This record gives sequence, C-alpha cells and structure tokens, in this order.
Amino acid sequence: MNQNEKVIEFSAIKKQYGNFHAVKGIDLTVHKGELFGFLGPNGAGKTTMIRILTGIIKPTSGNVLIKGYDLYKDPDNAKSRIGFVPDRPYLYEKLTPLEYFDFMGGLYNVNKNQVESKGEEMLKLFDLWDRRNELIESFSHGMKQKVAMSAAILHDPDIFVVDEPTVGLDPKSLKLAKDFFRNLISQGKTVFLTTHTLSVAQDLCNRIGIIRNGEIVALGSMSELQKKASLPGNDLESVFLKITEEEEQEKII
Amino acid sequence: MNSFQLLTPAFKKIKRVFSLRSRFVLWLLVGGSLLVSGVIYYGLYRFLDYVGRAPMLGETIGPLIGGLLVSKLLEMLLLTLFFMVLFSSIISALSAFFLNEELPVLMASPQPIGRIFRSRFIMMTLESSWMVIAFFLPALLAFATALKAEPMAYLIYPVYLGFFMLLPNICGGFFALLLGTFFPIRQMRKIFQFLSIIVLTSLIFFLRSLEAEKLLNPSYFKDVSQYILSLQLPLLQFSPSSWLHQATMQLFRSDYYASLKEFLPLAALSIGGLAILNFFSTRFYRSSWQKSMEAVENQVLGLEWVRKVIIFPLRFFDNSFRVIATKEITTFLRNPAIFSQIFMMSAIVFVYGYNLSILPLKDLPTLYSGEINDSLVFLNGPFIGFILASIGMRFVYPSISMEGRAFWAVKSSPVRPGKILFIKLSIYLIPMFILGLILCAVTNSIFKVSSDILFWMSFINVGLISIVITSLAIGVGTVYADFDADSPLKIAGSYGGFIYMILSGLYIINLLALEAYPMYRFFFHRFIPISRFSAGFLVTLCSLLLLFCTIAWIYIPFRKGLEVIDNYEPE
Repeated sequence: MNQNEKVIEFSAIKKQYGNFHAVKGIDLTVHKGELFGFLGPNGAGKTTMIRILTGIIKPTSGNVLIKGYDLYKDPDNAKSRIGFVPDRPYLYEKLTPLEYFDFMGGLYNVNKNQVESKGEEMLKLFDLWDRRNELIESFSHGMKQKVAMSAAILHDPDIFVVDEPTVGLDPKSLKLAKDFFRNLISQGKTVFLTTHTLSVAQDLCNRIGIIRNGEIVALGSMSELQKKASLPGNDLESVFLKITEEEEQEKII
Repeated sequence: MNSFQLLTPAFKKIKRVFSLRSRFVLWLLVGGSLLVSGVIYYGLYRFLDYVGRAPMLGETIGPLIGGLLVSKLLEMLLLTLFFMVLFSSIISALSAFFLNEELPVLMASPQPIGRIFRSRFIMMTLESSWMVIAFFLPALLAFATALKAEPMAYLIYPVYLGFFMLLPNICGGFFALLLGTFFPIRQMRKIFQFLSIIVLTSLIFFLRSLEAEKLLNPSYFKDVSQYILSLQLPLLQFSPSSWLHQATMQLFRSDYYASLKEFLPLAALSIGGLAILNFFSTRFYRSSWQKSMEAVENQVLGLEWVRKVIIFPLRFFDNSFRVIATKEITTFLRNPAIFSQIFMMSAIVFVYGYNLSILPLKDLPTLYSGEINDSLVFLNGPFIGFILASIGMRFVYPSISMEGRAFWAVKSSPVRPGKILFIKLSIYLIPMFILGLILCAVTNSIFKVSSDILFWMSFINVGLISIVITSLAIGVGTVYADFDADSPLKIAGSYGGFIYMILSGLYIINLLALEAYPMYRFFFHRFIPISRFSAGFLVTLCSLLLLFCTIAWIYIPFRKGLEVIDNYEPE
C-alpha cells in the first residue's frame, strides 16, 4: 500500500458566485489512507469544496485530480472512485432502501449481486434491515443519513467523502459511523470529511485543514495545529478558535 | 404586519424567477400569448357575431334565437370557468395550507393564526386562478364585444369576475380545512386527489351531457317553442355561474341596475363565505396543520404488480439505463397525484372520441363527403397533438423537476446528467407515441378515410407530433425545472408549463402551415389541375421544410435542456 500516493489534488481552486468569492484559490493534496478533516466556521467554504470535489458544482477556475484522473476531463473514471454522503440526505423518497441501493449501484455500474449483499450488510449494520421494504419518505433524518452512507459504499470507492456525518445521528449510530470510517482507513481507503463536531475530528482525523473565508488558514496533524496555535496539549476546540480568531484579527489589522 | 406582508417571500421568489429569465424570452412569451389571445378573441368574436344574428333563421327570429344561443354559450363558459378554478383550488389549497415550506417558521412565530391563514388563502387564490383567467379572458372579451358592451361594462366586469373567482377558492379552502381537521396529511392528500378526480371527471361528463351541438341545430327539437325554452333554462339554477351569467348579460346590454341586482347574491355569498372561512380558520387551522405534521405514510402502495410487469423488460438493458428507467417508473407509479391525472386524461380522451363519433357525417352531401371526411382527418392530427401536449404537460414536463433535491446523487455519479434526459425521453416517448397512434387509428376508423395517402399521412403527422411534444416536454421541463416543487401538478401549472404549451401549439401551427399547400393540392386536384412538375416540386419543398422544422423542434429544446442540466448546480 503506497501511503504517499496522492488520491485527491486540488489545484488553485476558486469559486465565485457573482461578486462573492466562496473559495479563493485553494491548493490541497490528500494522500491514500488518510482520514482528512476539513473544518471551518459557517460559510467558510467547506461544503463548496466538497461539492467541487464530488463534481456536483464546477469551480470558477482550478482543477481537481482524483487518483490522477482529471475530474472535468475524465469524470467517469474520477467520479467512480468516490463515494459521497451529503450533509442533507435528500434521497428518492418513493423508493425503499433496497430499491435506492439498486439505483445507486446501477449509476456506478455495480453488479446486482454485489449491491444486494453489500446493501444487506450495511442495513443490518445500521439496524435498518427490518425496514428495508418501507418507503424512504417515512424515515427520519438520521435513518436517511444511514441509507445515504450505505449507498455510498456499494461500489467500494477508494475515497469516501462525507459532509457533516454527525448531523442527525444518535450516539449509537455515531459510534457505528466512527468505527465504520476507521475500518475504511484500515482497508487502505481515504476519508475526506467536514464537521462542526470538533471532538469527532480530533478523535478520527490524521490530518486537519481549517478553512476560513474561502482560504486554508491551517493544515497539518493535531500536534502541528497545536504548535501553530501555540497551544500544546490543548484540545481541537481551543486550537480551532485560536486559529480562526487570530486570522480574523489579522484581517482587521 | 398584514397578510400581504407575510407573502413577501413568495412574491420575491416570483420576482427572482422572472429577473433570471432572458428579457428576449419574456417578450417573446408576452408576444406569443398576445397573439394566441388575439386569435382566440377574434375567432370567437366572429363566431358569436354570426351566431348572434343567426341569418339562416331569417331576420325576425334569427337575432332572437341567436341572442339566446350566445347567452347560453356564455353560461357554459362561466360554468366551465367555475369548475376549472374549483379543481385548481383544491390542488393549490393542499399545497398552500399544509405543504408550503414557509409554514413551520410562520406557525412558530407570534403571528395570529387568522393572518397566516389569510396570507395562504391569497397565495392559493392567485395560484389557482391566474392561468385559468389568462386563458378565459380573450373569450370573455369576445363575448363583451359581440354583445356590444359599453366601456363602463369593461371597467365593472373585473369586479364581478373577482368575486366569482373567490367562490371556488373559498370552497377549496373549506375542503382543505375540513379534511385537515379530521385526517393527517398523507391520507388527506389521497382524499383530495380522489375528490379532484370526481370533480373533474363529473365536470367533463356534465359538460358533455349538455350536448351544445344540439343547441346549434333546432331540428333536434320537436318545435321552436321547445327549442327556445331549452335555451332559456339555466344550466344550474341558483348557482354562482348562473348569477354571474345573468349579471354579465345585463351588464353587457348596459342595464346596470338589473345587472347589479343579479350580481348581489354572488357578492353576498362570496363575502359571507370569506367571513365564515375566516372564522373557521381561527378555530381549526392551527390544529389541522399540526395534525398534518404527524402521520407519515410508510407502506409501498398497491399496484406493485403493474410496476413489476412494466419494469421487467428493463433487465435486458444496460445497467445505468435499467436503474434510471426503473426509478422513473417506480416513482411515477407511486405518486398518487399522477393517478388522478391519468383518470382525468382518460376522461378527456374518451370524451374526444365520443365527440367525433357523434359528428353528423352521414348527413353530408355525397358529392363532398369524401373531401370533408378527408379534411377532418387532416385537422384531427392537430387535435390529437393538443391532447398529447396536455398529457405531456402533466406527466412528461414535470419529470425532471420531480428528481427534486435528490438529483445530487446523479450529479456526483459517473453517469452524465444528459443521459438522464435521453433515458427519460425514451421512456416517455413510447407511451406518447403509442397513445397518439391509437387515437389516430380510432379516429380514422370513425372518419372512414377514403385515401390511402391521407390515412398514412395522418399517422406520420401524429408520429411527428408525439416525438416533438415529448422532446419539448423534456427540454422545456429541464430549462424551467423547479427542483423544490412538491407536486407534479404544481410544476405543470407553472410559468415553464405555460411556455411548453405555447411552444407545442406553435409546432402544431407550424406543421399545419407547411402541410396546408400539399393538402390543398391533394383535395382539389380534380377541380384545379396544375402541371405535375410544379405540384411535385411544391409538395417536395413543403415536405423537406417540414422535415427540417421538425428536426429543429426536436433538437433545439432538447439541446438547451442538455446544456442546462450539465451546468445545473444542486443546492
């Protein structure tokens, strides 16, 4: 397993909505086997970056490589390597979870048997197997999140992209999700997640990037961030607040 | 803060939608609508003017019976208008009172419940009435002109119409409130849809049972006195449409006092209805809204075997085609709103077939019967086109919008969003094409078409129309997609749906115009012969032009849809 292999490469990514610059020229590389946490205050540009990474939106300029495949020139190869769970799990409500898996599996050209066995395994893991024949419209937010998470793994992606995985999950499901991410990493997969729950990021991530006003203001392991914030031994919450506040003050000055 | 201010977000949304549209398209739309309205207005005016004089009945009795005929037609029109707004309001009420996304915030706010209700009622009334009014206005103006109304009548009439429009909306509001008090929203939705099927199907059969064609042919009646009596009797006594009908007739004849007298019951009923509705809303709206939030349906609906039969052949297709088509068919069949529409469309198709079957083709003079039957076959194609366009607007046009917020799944997958459009086009084209051909075959058998060329030509026409109309529905449905809309009926009744219908109409006009010359040559070749070469040249030129235009009508909107979907960025 080549741990130095670059699986995600953002080059000079900019995203502009009218006069508003949501992302201001970000360069970022994520390596194979990393559990990368992308943190930042509200409106910092996290979700925009994730949506660019998954090909949902196009950047105004810049490029994204997924395992060496250009996301815009070779989207089929690039996208088939990503499994994505959005922050708001809008799913096709008139389908049952198993029908939804069949749909998602088909989009990624996965064998039907693989979809069925993997789907069953995931629904059992998330305690949803008994509700497999009910329409998704009757599910709670957390249950939909679990269905979305299960669907994202069906095609066995190399990179798992998760936007706010903790939203809507109960403590038991949250623990399940965390174990699930760790398990992916142990299999040599890469996880790219954003979260506001700093304890989750501190607990899970090998490397963290902090974004503010569309720019990365800090990047590194937990100890590197503590060093940058001159707060050795402190938790991620203190480090995060220190870094983002310092940046704000620097801007004011 | 008043009820209108609570509507500010909705008005701003509409303004935003318009500001995002190209000025050129907007002006084109306005111009196209005015043109269509002008044609309806002028055509109907000429017709009413002729019927009003009824010259075939002589100078004395003609205007008498003609006047009664015009009055009866106006009554039918107003009755139809009432039921159409009633149907529309039933759908809008559910959406405005219970499903609107602003409601949770409004309900949690300290705003009085009556004010919230009134704001939703205004929203519902505007939503349900604007398009119906837009379609009926040229017709009403034609009546006013034909009856030689004075300028004052034009100023007063909007007030009459406003009160008249209020009544079906009050009924819709009552229904929503009443059912919301007793049933949770999912069940209520089914009941509403069931009711709407009954209301609309009954309306279609009721209007058909009026047999308007008999009124234009006195030979159906035993004697003139029975005929005149049948013209004078109101269709529905003591109904809002009969009150407005009487008030309108008096107003257009410049008898303002008599008109006001006829209008008073209508105004009193509207004001009383509003007051009672307001009273009930303050008592029951909050609790019924709370109830609507409780129950959620959790069962797969019936008719699963139909779905399984339809999706069975898909297993032989490519994986992505299979899953996208299966998803489309599954979500389509599990949407109860669609079923009500299928019933309604079936009723329209049935009534259309019935209308053709009672045409007095046997009574035509033998010398011309062949030509008349054949020209009816020619004109029948566009009528089938309009039926297909209405079906397309309800089922095909909303299909992209119905992807809803779940569309991120496709955008983030390796499947190109454009492929979705191709798959949708293939799925919907098959039933549209088959339905068009069935309608064509049935109506051809009614007309007993005498020429083989015309027989096959009618199938080609309907085939072309069904392809263009399906492609337009997908293309325009993508360009004007509303991924936040909660119901296909609402999507069909939107700005884009209006454009789709106009464009479908324009294609049909385009087709008719290009085929008019070949048809003319064909019908009259035995009377006005021209050289074989010039006829052949002109017919070939028209056919090539038709082919070129048809390809453009298929390609351009679909291409535009592809561009939009490729650049679409889900929220």
